[in-house]
Amino acid sequence: MRSKLWSIKTSVLGLVLFGSNVFSATPVIELKIQDHLFFPEIIEIPANTKVKLLVNNLDPTAEEFESYELNREKVISGNRKAVIFIGPLPPGEYPFFGEFYPKTAQGKILVVEP
Amino acid sequence: MFLNSVILILQEVLEAALLISVLLVFSKRYNIKPLWVAAGIGAGAIGAIFFALNMAEVSEWFDYVGQEVVNALLQLTLFLVLGLLAFLLSTRTTRPTTFKDTPHFPHDSSSDLKKSLNIMFSMILAVSLIITLEGSEIFIYISGVINQPLHVQPTLAGSGIGAGIGISAGILIYYGLLGLPTRKISHSSLLLLALVGGNMASQATLLLTQADWLPYSKVVWDSSTLLQENSVVGHLLYALIGYEATPSLFQFLSYLSGVSLILLCWLLGKLMDKPAPSLSTPATTIKTNY
Repeated sequence: MRSKLWSIKTSVLGLVLFGSNVFSATPVIELKIQDHLFFPEIIEIPANTKVKLLVNNLDPTAEEFESYELNREKVISGNRKAVIFIGPLPPGEYPFFGEFYPKTAQGKILVVEP
Repeated sequence: MFLNSVILILQEVLEAALLISVLLVFSKRYNIKPLWVAAGIGAGAIGAIFFALNMAEVSEWFDYVGQEVVNALLQLTLFLVLGLLAFLLSTRTTRPTTFKDTPHFPHDSSSDLKKSLNIMFSMILAVSLIITLEGSEIFIYISGVINQPLHVQPTLAGSGIGAGIGISAGILIYYGLLGLPTRKISHSSLLLLALVGGNMASQATLLLTQADWLPYSKVVWDSSTLLQENSVVGHLLYALIGYEATPSLFQFLSYLSGVSLILLCWLLGKLMDKPAPSLSTPATTIKTNY
């Protein structure tokens, strides 16, 4: 499970770096909500880069993506997708959670120097 | 689920309760019957349910940022209505002569009646907008939980308590304002109205940045070590004055501009209503019916 998570994180980072260097378009990062959990629960993004978070809620119930550190808040209806723009951010740890199911829906964004 | 519901509902209810309390103070002060509250809440409840039921659809507009855009639009509309209210309410306070002598505010001319109606309709609009904004989230939250038998009871109990605390805080603000010395009531209420306006402008800016419709701007300060947004006081201050531990420059500027513009609307109303000596007239000379 742990190694799988790491591979997801590395591939996300790879996608971001690839996207930002080659196409210079806003990199897209996919995040899933399933059984009131975020997948992946840790996302790495490069510092000082704006990213587009594409959240896919696979649960039938709505969830609210919320992060005080990122200043973001958005309701994502059940079985729907949503886009949230984040950054550019300085390096650091930015936790996020599902406001409707905060006990389980927890995650964080790690902003790292590219 | 219980505590989460309390916090979530409290935050939403508190924002609406603050505005409704301030408007109720104004309407009491100017002898406008508070029937408009029921109309505003009713219209707002219908708006909230309609918005919530269509949220999934709306969210997919404009390349999946429709929710931010529509919410920001509602917030900016509310901001404009608050500006209009500040303007209308300021002109009512400076009605000459009859004000002083009549125990009840006189609806003695058609222009007074027209003004009262304008104020009332603006208040209905303001309340319905804030209830739509805050209520839609409550509706989505509760309707999601209601299908999960284990969560129903703690969620409903928590929501009830959250709403109760929020409404109680509103009542406290209402009587707190009315308990002030007469001449301070209007100005204190106006200040709170301006803070709600600033909060709306700041939230709209934040949402439009989140949607990438406004450019990113740097964080102005970080007060999270002093007061965290997710603390009880942080939640309360967010709802009441739009507290953010890490506001962006544009957010901060729109908050300041929002507050200033509402105050300017009030000032403009005063200047237009009584051009000559009105500004120097002490407010103590104006008697109201309480």
